[in-house]
Amino acid sequence: MIEVRNLKKKFGDHTVLESIDFQVSKGEVVCLVGASGSGKTTLLRCLNLLEMPDEGSITIGAKTLKFGGGSVRRNDIKELRRFSGMVFQSFNLFPHKTVMENIIEAPIIVQSRPKAVAIEEGKILLSKVGMLEHQDKYPDALSGGQQQRAAIARALMMKPEVMLFDEPTSALDPQLVREVLKVIEGLAKEGQTMVIVTHEMNFARRVSSKALFMDKGFIVESGKAAEVLTNPKEASTREFLALLDDD
Amino acid sequence: MSNRAFTNAGSNAGMTTSEPLIVVPLKHYGRWCWAALTLLLAVAAMNSIVNNANFEWSLVAHYLTSATVLAGVWMTIKLTVLSLLLGFAGGAVLALMRLSSNPVLVAVSWTYTWLFRAVPLLVQLFLWYNVAALYPHLAINLPWVGLVWSAPMNSIISPFSAAVLALVLHQAAYAAEIIRAGILGIGSGQNEAAKALGFDRWQTMSRIVLPQAMRTILPPAGNEVIGQLKTTAVVSVIALQDLLYSVQIIYQRTYEVIPLLMVATLWYIAMTSVLSIGQYIVERHFGRGVAAQGRAPWEYVNDFLGFKQKRGKI
Repeated sequence: MIEVRNLKKKFGDHTVLESIDFQVSKGEVVCLVGASGSGKTTLLRCLNLLEMPDEGSITIGAKTLKFGGGSVRRNDIKELRRFSGMVFQSFNLFPHKTVMENIIEAPIIVQSRPKAVAIEEGKILLSKVGMLEHQDKYPDALSGGQQQRAAIARALMMKPEVMLFDEPTSALDPQLVREVLKVIEGLAKEGQTMVIVTHEMNFARRVSSKALFMDKGFIVESGKAAEVLTNPKEASTREFLALLDDD
Repeated sequence: MSNRAFTNAGSNAGMTTSEPLIVVPLKHYGRWCWAALTLLLAVAAMNSIVNNANFEWSLVAHYLTSATVLAGVWMTIKLTVLSLLLGFAGGAVLALMRLSSNPVLVAVSWTYTWLFRAVPLLVQLFLWYNVAALYPHLAINLPWVGLVWSAPMNSIISPFSAAVLALVLHQAAYAAEIIRAGILGIGSGQNEAAKALGFDRWQTMSRIVLPQAMRTILPPAGNEVIGQLKTTAVVSVIALQDLLYSVQIIYQRTYEVIPLLMVATLWYIAMTSVLSIGQYIVERHFGRGVAAQGRAPWEYVNDFLGFKQKRGKI
């Protein structure tokens, strides 16, 4: 489903990603964990080309892109993005549109789906994330948790092969974190392929089949989530988890 | 610990006062005094305007709808609408050029804005009116095709076309800055969300960025619209018959200067008032989704007088 090979990314002279290799099979839930600045968010953003990698290759669904040989064509970028849906830390709902307008905008404009069909599908997805009753509200009138659930529905509307989550609960008040994690867990149970950057270790242990631990731009440890996040082999992973336990 | 103590104290205090408190609005006596004084001054001013015979209100009424004046009003409206539509269209193009990643477009846009803001509109107006002295002929020559079209400049530049040209080019420079500021105010998260959903650049700009930018573009743009309506009065210097020039034509014949200036004043007030109301309605439309909606003037009056009113929806 996803295959990343020898991916490299620099910001100026600073290397943020170094020789990244990993695979995600269909139905797998992969968590990216690591300290701030370890490169996990950059890696996730590279997967739908919000950041352009400098070298290596990315395959998502049926599309493979190679980097390093000149600039990437705009159509290729669009095609690769078609296979992934992105959920942001700060939700990024469109504030001038209601919840329903937010989620049907891209299907209508980008995929040219009929409006009535998009609304029907939108209702199904909104009820799935528990937001149907709020469909006519503007994002400003919603709590962070509600906004994030709407943002998840918006990404799902495009029927992506893979869902990418960039610290989906980091901007939320503690009491709102659960409602969002529950939605993501529900998707995991349905077999949705997902890559999640998160600091919620218990959640990561519960939902993910695989965990990648990143440090200084490298994937230092990867394997079954339960093992990596409970009995890590590497010293840096142990240190990181110990820091979190102090809380 | 301290929290609990506070709660206990609160509930004890609550028990000693058995009757519920009645909430009454605070009385603002000072406000009423100032309001009365201001109203008094306003009434005095009105009184002097109405009863000063020098205004010659009967003449004002006579000329207000005369054919010459109405033709002038129509010309002013035409100039305003044309220069705003073309000016803001040009401004939008200039703003997008300035924000593009092409250094040539950025430089051209920057130079244009610099140049046209640097020269007074009045000077530009004279320059365009006299452009025939610079370029006697206007011709389109295509490479390999040769001369496609040509005409003497004097047949192209009339007072009207010179006025439109000057007003549009001037307006575009200011509109560009207003639109650019509006676009810059939209966070990068909106762009990224649109990209991730597969929008191309044009769809992102037209569906996501510009509609949100309108909220910050509109108040200064409204200022420009109203300013532009009044600015069109400068065209009277090249003998274009707008509202001001029309009343000048009449009072140069009849010497009824003040009444005719009053006619122009009343028309300008009427037209800018209509524009202000229009601005208010448009701003409401683009303010969707924002909790702090602009309030209508009558809502302030209602508030002041203490009338109950519906709260705006969030």
